[in-house]
Formats: sequence, C-alpha cells, structure tokens
Amino acid sequence: MKKQLLFMTALSLLAGAVSLTGCSKKVNPGDVQGYDEGEQYISMWVHTIEDTPEGEAYKQSVESFNEKYDGTYFADIEFIPRNDSGGGYSDKINASVMSGDLPDVITVDGPNISAYAANGIIQPLTELSDEEKSVYLDSILEQGTVDGKLYALGAMESSVGLYYNKAILEEAGIEVPDKDHPWTFSEFLDILERLKPVTDSRNGYPLDMTFPVGEASIYYYAPFIWSNGGDLISDDGLTAEGYFNSDKNAEVFSYFRTLTENKYMSATPVEKLFESGRAAFKFDGAWEVNTIYQSYSDIDLGVAPYIVSDNWDGGRYTPTGSWAYAATTKTDNPEAATELVKWMSGTESGILLYEKTKSMPSTYAAYDQITTFEDDENYKALYEQLRDYGHPRPKTPVYPQVSTSFQQVLEDVGLSGRNVNDEMDKSVERINAKLKRYTR
Amino acid sequence: MKNKSNSVIGMAFFGPALVLMTVFLFIPMILTLIYSFTDYFALNPKLTHFVGLENFSTIFKDDLFTTAFLNTVKFVLIIVPLQTLGALGLALLINKVTVCKRYFKVAFFIPVVMSLAVVSNLWMQIYSPEGILNTILSNFGIDAQPFIYGADQALPSIAFMSVWQGVGYQMIIFLGGLQAINPALYEAAEMDHASGWSKFMNITLPELKPLCVFVFITVTIGAFRMIVQPMVMTGGGPSHSTYTIVYDIYETGTVNWEIGLASAMAIVFTVFVVILTIIQTILTRDKEDKHENKKAKNR
Repeated sequence: MKKQLLFMTALSLLAGAVSLTGCSKKVNPGDVQGYDEGEQYISMWVHTIEDTPEGEAYKQSVESFNEKYDGTYFADIEFIPRNDSGGGYSDKINASVMSGDLPDVITVDGPNISAYAANGIIQPLTELSDEEKSVYLDSILEQGTVDGKLYALGAMESSVGLYYNKAILEEAGIEVPDKDHPWTFSEFLDILERLKPVTDSRNGYPLDMTFPVGEASIYYYAPFIWSNGGDLISDDGLTAEGYFNSDKNAEVFSYFRTLTENKYMSATPVEKLFESGRAAFKFDGAWEVNTIYQSYSDIDLGVAPYIVSDNWDGGRYTPTGSWAYAATTKTDNPEAATELVKWMSGTESGILLYEKTKSMPSTYAAYDQITTFEDDENYKALYEQLRDYGHPRPKTPVYPQVSTSFQQVLEDVGLSGRNVNDEMDKSVERINAKLKRYTR
Repeated sequence: MKNKSNSVIGMAFFGPALVLMTVFLFIPMILTLIYSFTDYFALNPKLTHFVGLENFSTIFKDDLFTTAFLNTVKFVLIIVPLQTLGALGLALLINKVTVCKRYFKVAFFIPVVMSLAVVSNLWMQIYSPEGILNTILSNFGIDAQPFIYGADQALPSIAFMSVWQGVGYQMIIFLGGLQAINPALYEAAEMDHASGWSKFMNITLPELKPLCVFVFITVTIGAFRMIVQPMVMTGGGPSHSTYTIVYDIYETGTVNWEIGLASAMAIVFTVFVVILTIIQTILTRDKEDKHENKKAKNR
C-alpha cells in the first residue's frame, strides 16, 4: 500500500516536472563548453536546424565570435526548426514572449522587424558609429530602422532578378538596356508583343510568371507599385486608406491584368516554363541563377534591369530583404548583444554564408571579396541592382495582413479580372481592422 | 481494503494520462474559451483586454469567414457521400474478389498511410496544366483543365483527392464489418432464392448499419477539419475558393498573431460541429430504432 502511494507520488512529481520544464534557466560558467568565468553570456536563437548549410554557417560564425572575444563574451547558439510557412520558429518566439524566456539575440525576418519593435519584443541596438554603419548596404540599414532607430542588421540580403533567355531575345532582335535605363511598363508590353510569336512557336509564353500565395508575390511585384510612385501603407505604417487603394496602385494592378488578358503569361502556373526554354522572361529570387547554372546549363541566362513605370523618377524600387539579427528587450546587456549582432551580420559571416548557401551578403566588403560578384555578369547585375535601387518591403506592424492583401488583389484583379477599386477597398478594410490595435 | 488498493492502482495507471490530458487538452480548451472574449495578441500579451462578445460580432460580419464557412460546407457535402459510399463499394468488391485480395487491400490502404503533405504534392503534379490528367484528357480531345488553379474547379479537385486519400481507412472498417456477418444469414437467404440485391438490402446493409453511423460521423468531422490539402496545393486560392474555416483560424492566430479572434473562431467552429454531430446521431439512431421495431414486428 505504502509502496503504491510512493509510486503514485513519484509519478505525479514526474508529470509535474515534465510540464514545468521550459521555464527560464540560469546558465553558469562551465555549464556550456567554452563558457568561462568572467565572460558575458549571450544566448541566441536562429531560425534553422543545425544540419543545413545555413545552420553550419551560423555555427561557424558563432565559434569565430567566441574565439575573437574569448574572455569577454560567450555566445550560445540554439537552432529552432522552422517550416516553410514560417511556423515553428515564430511560434516559439510568440510563446516565449508570453513566458518571458526570450534569449538575448534572435533572428527576425525583415518584414517582421516593425511588428516586433512596435510590440516591444526587440530593442534598438546600441549606437553604431558612422564608420560601423557605412560597411552595410543602404538596404540593410533601411530595413533595420524603425522610427529612426536601428533595431536589426541583416544576416544576408536578397534580390529578385528579371531573368531572360538570351537565345529567345536574340531571335526576336531585342536589345537589353543597362541598369539605369530599365524598360518602362509600356515598352515592356511592346516587347512582349514582339516575343509572343517566338514563344508561341516554342509552345510557351513570353513571361513565366505567377502570383503565388505567400510572401513571394509582394516581394516580387511590390516594386511595380514603388516605381509608379505609389505605396502600400503610410510612412509611419499606420494608415492604409489613400495609400493601398490609391489610383496609382490601381494602374499597377490593372497592368497585371493586361499581362494575363493578352496571354503574355499563363493564367495557370506551368512548371519549369522558363527552365525548359519556353519562356523569354522570369521573375525569381537570386537563387535562380545557381539553379540554372547547375541544372539547366543549356539556357543562356541574362539578368535585365527590373522594369519600371512610365512615371519612374529614378528612385529606389527593387526587391530586398531577408533575415536579420536583433537584440530582444529581455537582454540585460544591449552592448554585448549588439557586438554579437554586428559580428553575425559582418563581412566574415556574410562570406561564410555565401560560400555555404549562395545567399547575398549584407556588407560592401563581402561583395568586394567574393570574385563571383565581379566576374559573373548575372551575379554582378543582381548586386548592382540591389546596391543602387534596393527598396525595403512596407514597414508596418500589420505587415502580414498587407502581404496577404497584396497577393489577394493581384490574384483577384490580375487573374480573375475583378474590379480593381472594389478589391483594393476590401483590402484596406481588412488592414484597418488589424491596425485598430495600434491606432486606438 | 481490496477495493481501495485497486482504485489506487487504477489511479496510478490513469494518473499520467490524466495529467498529460489536463496539460495538453483540457487547459488549452478552457484557455481558448477565455481568450475568445479577449483581444489577446501573441506579440504583446501584456495589452490583453476583455472585449466581451466583440470577437464574435467581428467574425459574423467578416465575409472572409463566411466564405471559409461555405467552402467547408461544400467540402463536407462532396466528401462525405463520396467517401462513405466509395468505402462501402470498395469493401464489397474486395470481399468478392478471390485473387490477390491482399494486394487490393494494401493498394487501397497505402494512401492512408502516406503523409497528407506528400499526397498533396503528388496530386499537384497530377493536376498540373501539363500533368498526367491533362495529358490523358488531351488524348480524348478535351482541352486542358485548370483543376486546382481554377476558381471553379479547385474545390472539387481537392475534395476528390481527399476522398482518394481517405477512403482506404473506412474501407478496412467496412471490410471488418462484412467479415463479421454471420454466413448462416446468407445461407438462409439462398435457400429462399433471394436475389443478390435483396441479400444486400436485407442482410448486408442492416448488419453494417452501426458501422455506417460511425463512418458517417468520423468522415464528416474529418472533412470539416480540412486544412492541409488546400494549404499545400492552393494556399486557399484561387480567390479564396478553397479557404476553409480551420485555415482561417490558423491564418488569424499564427500569421496575424490575433489569438483572441482565432480562439473565438475555434469556439464557433467547435459548437457548430458538435451540434451537427448531435443531429447526425439523433437522426441515425432514430432509423436504427425503427429498424429494431421492424425486426420485432417481423418476429
């Protein structure tokens, strides 16, 4: 009888222990290998698993940080898996916001920086000198800045190219302009019209283009809005009315309708249209260059400057943005956290990450040291476009809703041909519902 | 004393399960109910207010939720009859087959074992504009169909694929039921020169009735919970034609961080499914009782 009681008590204690683990823990010197007496402990979460090229790069960067700052700082990296739709990692962040278990440094996807800052999850980095700032691309600083304060520095940058098939353009006798004189919307329509017979004969379309659900749509196509002088949300990120549903944006959404109506692109996504040599153009991330080189080497690939509105004023407009490091409000040592953020986003880490994953670095020096960005005309074009014309995605705490709304209007107007003003107004209503939290 | 020690042992076995269920099921359920009356926001839990029924009025005014609700009902209306009858049909066929019985059983059951995400990706290939299905259609001179990329066809396409994926499970249940029917009943019927159809209507179906009710209810609840297939295949599109309630709850809670609103949606959804299940149970039980009465009269 007593034994049974003992057994039960043990069981319930065990169950209790199971449910209680996950609460905050204090790490002492010696608990983790490499963490010695007198060092400042900095915990960090990254959004990937350890056994990926990306994870390996982060791990190596942390190791070299610990070597360099031996005796001063010790950074402890934890890998949190993340699924394709972004769950997993962000769920863990959300749960930890409530329980107060955030580490000192986290990675944040570029467009989420505003929301994390507005809700007090991350805090501004300690002041960087102008010299320290000048190593980063403008787009990295721009992405990390909210209300004039620098919150985050990018682990990497990204870009989207307007890729073209050289053989097809040659056949149609089309010359590609230089990066400072991109094709305008109307010029591009003429070119597509000239290309149509060529791609028709190849059983394809002039454009390999889709409006996918998810982040890609706003990432690829919001530049059309910016080059037309429009915006998706006000500068402070709190007003959608008059921005998202402006007449300028209506023009852009209608332009996408023109592309489908004239059958310059397929209304239903055709797999590998560009890669199989049946399309003249394709919008895709910088990774596409590597994909073509590795798997479709018979395609003669070129990068054309991102197209612009006829009213373009020469301002910044091309896609940018990626994961960045930021210090959380939970850290007691913003200085230490800032040091780690600077290191992880710095030149050495950027080159390492490029070597492992081919992602674009966030500092000028990294581009100078990687010969590919000088020798390979396609990588060079992507870098120059990013450097000279990169524009961050909308900075607003309700970014997720802006992103979904943009894709929905694109689909409803571009593909289904619904009334552009109705769809934009509906989106504004939805964005406003989410903004209420910040404006009341 | 004996009784008491038995109950202690019983608790010892039951205890861990109870603790885990409390932590991972009951407490979250109660929290969901509480959150549904607040504006709980995942990124800033400190700012949570009690908002009364505001979330519920928001939901019923939101045309996206209405769309999601109607889509879900459409899914249920297509999937439930197809999957229930399909499973019964397959079970009857396999029961008749004498050659390679095990092969057919395994073949129809394999999709059930496969991950939904894998199956969804597989069918994306099948449904793609230049996929197998469109190639076959073109051989018959039929134009390429958009399938999951067309606002009119996406929902039925996904529903059909879901039936294909799930039907094997219910088939096995029916097969078990068929094999449990006393052969003497059929022998008796044969002596009376009953036709195959009449044997089916008067022996097989009545004997399978309790199973039918079970299958009917589980398939209905399963169909209501549809999310993975549209998430993987269409992202709820085109133009929200495959956006379901559970998908909406996920998007609201996880992507837009509005836990309060998502909780309210989950409560509305749960209440709806519970009511529907009760109605189903009452309707089917009624028939069973009648059946019992009929049997009694015949005796």
